[in-house]
Amino acid sequence: SNVCHVAAPDLAATSRPRKADKDEEEKPLQAVLVADSFNRRFFPITKDQPRALLPLANVSMIDYTLEFLTSTGVQETFVFCCWMASKIKEHLQKSKWCRPTSPNVVHVITSDLYRSLGDVLRDVDAKALVRSDFLLVYGDVVSNIDVSQALQEHKQRRSMDKNVSVMTMIFKESPPGHKTRCEDDDIIVAMDGKSKRILHYQRAQALKKLHFPMVRCLEVGSDEFEIRFDLLDCHISICSPQVAELFTDNFDYQTKNDFVRGLLVNEEILGNQIHMHVTRDGYGARVSNLLMYDTVSSDTIRRWIYPITPEANFADQEGQSCTHSRHNVYREPGVSLGHGSQMEENVLIGRNTVIGANCTISNTVIGANCVIGDNVTLDRAYIWNRVHIADNVKVKQSVICDNVEVKHGVVLSEQCVLAYNVVVGPDITLPEGTVLSMHHPDEEDDEDEDEFLSDDNDVGYSKDKTKQKVFNPAEVGSEGKGYRWKSSSLDDTEEDELAECIWGLALSADPESDSESEVSEGSHDLGSHPASPELDDVKVFQNEVHGTLQRGLDENISCDNLVLEINSLKYAYNISLKEVMQILMRVVLEFPFQQQGAQISTAQYSSHLLPLLKKWAPVFKNYVKRPQDQLDCLASMEEVFLECETHWAVLMSMYQLEILEEEGIMHWFNQGSTTDKSQQLRRNQGLLKFIKWLQEAEESSEGDE
Amino acid sequence: MPGADKETELSERIEAFLSELKRCGSGAGSLRGSAETARETTSLLRRITAQARWSNAGDLMEIIRKEGRRMTAGQPSETTVGNMVRRVLKIIREEYARSRGSTEEADQQESLHKLLTSGGSSEDNFRQHFTHLKANVIEAINELLTELEGTTDNISMQALEHIHSNEVIMTIGRSRTVEAFLKDAARKRKFHVIVAECAPFCQGHEMATSLSKEDIETTVIPDAAIFAVMSRVNKVIIGTQTVLANGGLRAVNGTHTLALAAKHHSTPLIVCAPMFKLSPQRIQIFLRSFCFLLPGEILSKVNAHCPVFDYVPPELITLFISNIGGNAPSYIYRLMSELYHPEDHEL
Repeated sequence: SNVCHVAAPDLAATSRPRKADKDEEEKPLQAVLVADSFNRRFFPITKDQPRALLPLANVSMIDYTLEFLTSTGVQETFVFCCWMASKIKEHLQKSKWCRPTSPNVVHVITSDLYRSLGDVLRDVDAKALVRSDFLLVYGDVVSNIDVSQALQEHKQRRSMDKNVSVMTMIFKESPPGHKTRCEDDDIIVAMDGKSKRILHYQRAQALKKLHFPMVRCLEVGSDEFEIRFDLLDCHISICSPQVAELFTDNFDYQTKNDFVRGLLVNEEILGNQIHMHVTRDGYGARVSNLLMYDTVSSDTIRRWIYPITPEANFADQEGQSCTHSRHNVYREPGVSLGHGSQMEENVLIGRNTVIGANCTISNTVIGANCVIGDNVTLDRAYIWNRVHIADNVKVKQSVICDNVEVKHGVVLSEQCVLAYNVVVGPDITLPEGTVLSMHHPDEEDDEDEDEFLSDDNDVGYSKDKTKQKVFNPAEVGSEGKGYRWKSSSLDDTEEDELAECIWGLALSADPESDSESEVSEGSHDLGSHPASPELDDVKVFQNEVHGTLQRGLDENISCDNLVLEINSLKYAYNISLKEVMQILMRVVLEFPFQQQGAQISTAQYSSHLLPLLKKWAPVFKNYVKRPQDQLDCLASMEEVFLECETHWAVLMSMYQLEILEEEGIMHWFNQGSTTDKSQQLRRNQGLLKFIKWLQEAEESSEGDE
Repeated sequence: MPGADKETELSERIEAFLSELKRCGSGAGSLRGSAETARETTSLLRRITAQARWSNAGDLMEIIRKEGRRMTAGQPSETTVGNMVRRVLKIIREEYARSRGSTEEADQQESLHKLLTSGGSSEDNFRQHFTHLKANVIEAINELLTELEGTTDNISMQALEHIHSNEVIMTIGRSRTVEAFLKDAARKRKFHVIVAECAPFCQGHEMATSLSKEDIETTVIPDAAIFAVMSRVNKVIIGTQTVLANGGLRAVNGTHTLALAAKHHSTPLIVCAPMFKLSPQRIQIFLRSFCFLLPGEILSKVNAHCPVFDYVPPELITLFISNIGGNAPSYIYRLMSELYHPEDHEL
């Protein structure tokens, strides 16, 4: 025991300083993984399964993300779940990430209260989870990028300039037209050529005009700066703990976009900078819609994400080890292939799947325990587990979820989605872009306490709508089961929204988006005001104004308070006064449409709008003061009414409520109109009558004098 | 419970090793040399021997086989791992035989007579318990590790016998063994090295930079120029990923071209390959399992295939230089039977 006594203090003395050293120099790398998308892109599929658990090449997406994190040396990951958190938790507990031997310790944190990335990061800050720089990713990121270099650069920057650079975003160089580029994620970035500091960041979605704050770029004083459109945001960022704090300080930041823009705009005030790291090799993409799902799946099969390939079985699941043979054909154990069936190229077939005779399969992923009949043609099909496909079926670029039954003779055209448990057929051809689900499109109002959308979005639904809960044989076939979800391609006239909209199924689901896109369209076509500061901000602002007014109506808030709220919104989103006016006008005018649907008659419209106008007249009066304001208001009104000119009676009531004055109206009317449509509008009978009446009134008043 | 702790620590190590194997991959963009992989595998196997729970050689072999299967599945293109597992299995067999008192020769010799008479599998024989077996096996594995440590040195020591003054040497890609070999020769002799760049990963560039730092006159040529330049070359010295049982090679892409060109010009082709690269696996497997890695940019709707390894038939090879000396390709099968027990060829 003597020896022991002597040795013990000695040991402690030597080991302690070493330990402290280690703590300072290399704290374990942490990551925050947001296993929720906070949007409805994958509806109705995600009604049954959260997005992070959807299989991509027969492995859940979250496993790819965790593999990426682990391989870059992350030792502790916080997984934040909201939608169907219990399923994600269960999955993770069964996976290899939660084994005691895992080099990456995974903590699952669930809450129903998260509505956005901002909420998650505020919680990270509140719980003080991160101690040093951390990686921030979504649960649907697939990547093999080695971030160690970026991490080193980030640390170097931070040690050189104490805490100035708070975030390093990782971009992959990929020129326009690259297939992993996602249309709605197109961005334009201005950066300092030397320091790699981001000077300007803008999403390019549906942008026709670009406004660059050149002044700021020059102010920075760098000799060279680059404006780049060939970058793909991998949605991987290296953040310092300050990022979480900044989210707490700025409670209005919801998305990373808000954050980045906020930081850049307030750079002088807060003194924080964002840098970027551009990688040429490596693969990084976020599965943000089904089109991306298609792309990333095929890239996985084609081995672009090496060493994350199907046969590597990195998730280490029992019985999932597959063999890889020429032309990228992968087979898990127990696959049986009928006589004359061909697996042409890029095919992955899950375990115990049985395929009949004379099938042609190419660029396809088939899950486990599926049964596929004879003479089936599959091309770019993504078939999940336990699917039954009968004879003579043709499938092209479609997603077929678990337990679906496709009866004989069915043809699925491009971009169809059969959600969980649907039955289709027999002998029916589904048109392009068909989405079938066992959930009725309307049921979400009652059942989900809308997980992702803010309150104002289900205004469009009236609850008393009678639901026909009967399967329509014309849609799903005589023995089919399932409801057809609104096809977005039909009523969407705007070409800008592109394939993403058709295949992304997103925009059809929320009624707001149509009007949103109109705004952006209108604002560009009309050219009446300079390029808006930021499209997204304007949209968000419009939503907010709508929400505010709706609440004002519901809770009977006084107009003064409404003005106060709108003013604060104006500052939050940095919206000019002119735009505030125009948006306010637009929101109010569209109010009846929102409540009653777009097809209401003139009389109904007026009867709905008039009380609102009366109620909110003080709000308008607060903003509409100068003659120019009136013109702006009228221009905005004109935009709204271009489509439905019969509602012009409203102008009259605006006049009577003294929101608009006759001089303004006359000036607007006599203004040279630019487009055919607006000329036609000016010939509208009702409008002409009103103008005439105004003129007469003026004359008579002049006569009085 | 110290026992349980040891077990978990062991399985932790195995998991970590496996995932590292899966991630780093081998092939062209290898982050570590195969020598390092061999050493790591062997020390892991030593740890298993020391810490796993087993009472006789049969159990131990079973454990090692099981873990070996997992490790080889982790990175099928890296044969070194499987080779080291086989070496250790062979060591256990030998030590067991020695403990029993029989000569290893007798145990190993596969005669027709023995095949007919033995009847039951030899597994039964490994059930006997020996107290010193563990220590002996670990001792033997330590010897193996020492051997592995010295492989590169042992190979480069032979450099002066093969490289003469003012010779023109051609090589392809980057092999750590060849690099050490050439550098060793450069200490005494002046010669000229031509490096084929080995597109698309161009490991040849790294090789050339490294050689020129040692004041070796180095020229980089594109792969297409191999044939044209071959007529001036005195000797071709290459490394390889694996040496197959028939004396053929599985080597970096482009080696077959190089070997054919050398044959055409009757230039001797020397392969520097340490013994741990000898693999009893059959060729067919490799021919099917190409590794397709990432080249640079792509356009949509394009399938880009990038085979990483070539099979080079044994008749194109003049000499193997291993850490135990030079051998002709026809002798490889013999070396193989000395290194591995025939029953271990399939893990």
